[in-house]
Amino acid sequence: MTANAAGPAITPCAVDYSRRTEYHEGLDAIKAAHRLLREVRYTPSLPMKGYNDRTLHVDLTTLEFREEPVTRQMKDLFVGGRGFGLWRLWNAVTPATRWNDPENEIIISPGPVAGITQYPGSGKSLVVTLSPQTDIPIDSNVGGYFGPLLKFSGFDALELAGRAATDVILFIDGQKGILRIEEAPLEPADSHILAELLTRMYAEDEADRSNISVVCSGAAADHSLIGMLNFSWWDKRRGCIRLKQAGRGGIGTVFRDKRIRALVCRGPVVKADLNHPVDFETLARTGIKLHKEIHTLDDSQCKMRRNGTAHIVEIMDAYDLLPTHNFQYGSHPDTHKIASPVWEARCSQMTADGCWYGCSMGCAKGADGLVLRTGPYKGHMVTVDGPEYENAAGLGSNAGVFDPDWLLELNFYCDTYGICTITYGTLAAFVMECFQRGILDRERTGGLELAWGNAEADLELMHQIARGEGFGRIAGQGVKKMKEIFIRNGWGDPGLIQDIGMEIKGLEYSQYLSKESLAQQGGYALTNKGPQHDEAWVIFMDMVNKQLPTFEAKAEALYYFPLFRTWFGLMGFCKLPWNDIAPADNSKTDEPAKIPEHVQNYLDLFTATTGIQIDRETMLMQSARVYNFQRVFNLRMGKGLREHDQPPYRSVGPVTPEEYLSRQERYDKQMLEEIGIDPEGRPLDEKIAITRKYRMDRYGKLCDAVYARRGWTPGGVPTMARLAELGLDVLPEVVAIVQQHGG
Amino acid sequence: MIQVNGDPLAWTPGLTVRGVIKAKNYLFPLLIVDIDGVRVDPPDYDATPVPDGASVQVIHLLSGG
Amino acid sequence: MRQLKINLPQCDGGRNCAHECEEACATRVFKLDDSAFAALHIQTLADGQSAAVICDQCGDCVTVCPAEALKRNKLGVVMIDKKLCVGCYMCIGFCDKGAFERIPGVLEPYKCTACGICVKACPHSALEIVDVPVPAPRII
Repeated sequence: MTANAAGPAITPCAVDYSRRTEYHEGLDAIKAAHRLLREVRYTPSLPMKGYNDRTLHVDLTTLEFREEPVTRQMKDLFVGGRGFGLWRLWNAVTPATRWNDPENEIIISPGPVAGITQYPGSGKSLVVTLSPQTDIPIDSNVGGYFGPLLKFSGFDALELAGRAATDVILFIDGQKGILRIEEAPLEPADSHILAELLTRMYAEDEADRSNISVVCSGAAADHSLIGMLNFSWWDKRRGCIRLKQAGRGGIGTVFRDKRIRALVCRGPVVKADLNHPVDFETLARTGIKLHKEIHTLDDSQCKMRRNGTAHIVEIMDAYDLLPTHNFQYGSHPDTHKIASPVWEARCSQMTADGCWYGCSMGCAKGADGLVLRTGPYKGHMVTVDGPEYENAAGLGSNAGVFDPDWLLELNFYCDTYGICTITYGTLAAFVMECFQRGILDRERTGGLELAWGNAEADLELMHQIARGEGFGRIAGQGVKKMKEIFIRNGWGDPGLIQDIGMEIKGLEYSQYLSKESLAQQGGYALTNKGPQHDEAWVIFMDMVNKQLPTFEAKAEALYYFPLFRTWFGLMGFCKLPWNDIAPADNSKTDEPAKIPEHVQNYLDLFTATTGIQIDRETMLMQSARVYNFQRVFNLRMGKGLREHDQPPYRSVGPVTPEEYLSRQERYDKQMLEEIGIDPEGRPLDEKIAITRKYRMDRYGKLCDAVYARRGWTPGGVPTMARLAELGLDVLPEVVAIVQQHGG
Repeated sequence: MIQVNGDPLAWTPGLTVRGVIKAKNYLFPLLIVDIDGVRVDPPDYDATPVPDGASVQVIHLLSGG
Repeated sequence: MRQLKINLPQCDGGRNCAHECEEACATRVFKLDDSAFAALHIQTLADGQSAAVICDQCGDCVTVCPAEALKRNKLGVVMIDKKLCVGCYMCIGFCDKGAFERIPGVLEPYKCTACGICVKACPHSALEIVDVPVPAPRII
């Protein structure tokens, strides 16, 4: 037992984290089979004040590379990250473009501050494409090395357009100034092998592996709409690759549709100041301050370094907010089996787990020595990231799985197959509830007993998705399409199926229970990309703190927080170090919920890197431009109106008698005190209907208040006045679309 | 009787801030506590008494990445 | 492992010397003009006490460094490999002894290497190099 810096002693995990099944035996033969299709020399550059002022466009149909300038207007209106991604995509597609047209692009863009090494959480990229699930832009944030290495190779963004004729690898060598497209016929599909192989293949020696990052997907992305992208980094201590994910929306499916097997970026050796910041000392000072803060306080606050985001599993359960059995319930007696003490003991604690240099929050914990029990890698020993909150809730409680080893295996296969864990969690939970209610049965699932907690059947479904077989072909299309199929087949009551299928605009909900929080219902439904929580996470503010009692207060939160949280994705920042650690004197500040000292840190880091002065107002303006542009982009693609912002009833209130009864006291109290109807003596189905009408009316009023606060029409369209305020009225096509929709 | 975030909670003599947090099962680690508008800092939770009739606000800092 | 150790009563907080240890460290070891940038510091406290900021080679920084730029050499001394250092300063942030130094304008931090030059420079023989067991790494 070794004592830690503060707090009780932790028994270190006894697993040898350097041991795992090795996969690089066939490397030479695989490499020898590569056929060079195109090679181009270019002049590498390092960013100045955070920008290279150029992006790289790759046309996979013609195998051509093209450099595009980053203009002044682009920086002013779109800043970087998500903004650059949306702008490039806007210019690539038309309203008629579908996700699998060659004109669709995947854009990976870090942001002006990405790549600094001093401040925790500074390695992120945003990935943007037209989603196979929603048909509108999806934006996904991902950690890790690829974005910074891309920047340090000379590019502020990478655009992938067209479609290759065969499976190819795109190699960007930022050390030698070489761009290559290679035919890659023998590469395995799955990420845990592929990323390892390619890191070793493209590194010139062992030390060079730290300069390599691989972007790839997995077998499931060839057979489903729910594919995601893995972004690798080299874990020196473990001697293996680790994976971060750009999940949500099926970006991996687009990637594979373009016949991309992998992207490989080899950047220069990383040093402290490759962004050529204007004011390095501020970066150093601010970074050291955060390192000290995390070192001193993390163990008594969120324990991110020990448990990552899994620290909130037991917390959500205690607050009756842990999604359980397809968002029916908020807690379960077995939650302790997958709560954070389990992971603290299971994950190796003596490693550096930041997904980019300088992240002292280090939340990417690794569970080593997992011996797989199912699937094509049965018997192999692997390291899997163990697990983020979303995975513990989505793959765990939401499916009724409370066994940590099964949970790790579900997480592992999602990662290697290229399946988004959040999406899979919600679709599997939907499938299991359909199984519970007889909408599905063993005949309809091809024999899979998809009952709550049956992890083996759940894994077999995943393996089917990866193989493109059986019921996996249906499940892999996601909740929206499953609803259409089940209803068309007459397998159950259409109303019930619609109510319990947790998706909006085609994207599955992430793993938070919004049922009792009107503000979070809006937080999910009034999000540009679909119900992902990265924009608004206001459940505690609403339900526990009771800080949002009126529609106006809720609307204010749903105006401010999406803008504030969007900002991180313009910059290259991870938002966890913003609020998963707080300074010792934070409680003494005026607005402690906003962690004002940290907000100032971020402003200082942006100014220190770019030389551009900003304050809290301009920070929100930067986000508001991108945010409203994305709303107009949704309109352009056919889904930016009020009717597209409507939630399934399971996310708003109790659908079934069991759900009502599980919280009867609360619902009866609301009926009496808020609705003004006495529940006494009324039949249950009548009470359910009364509650439903009231809550859906309230949701409608929330939409009114939020749209107004955002400067949108009652139909959800940004007004011309708002566009003018933001300076977006200089873009004629944006103006035309808004005017066309009465904005 | 005291109020905690607007909801009633039974008061007992000797009730402290820590006692309120425990009674409400507020497991979340990052809290801001005010008693009748006066801030109580985390090191003082164990020792600070909550008077009968007080209005206690317990703000949970946001999370959710 | 080699470790620099101070006898604080003998040192008396530098009250009876010219802080020759810091001077020797800064100028002769790290080639710096200002002894404020030495890798050890002798402090005279208000109440007559003394304190010294000294690296005790505990190895916490070895555990936190993401680039594996900090490692023990054959003598057990924690050394920084400047070629591997990425200037993230997690070592500075996580050092409980405050034993890391950095100079504005220089990307890599530095620390005591238990070289012993300060030992020879001390007029009161308050410093010595000792050999102690390498401590077990701790979870940090």
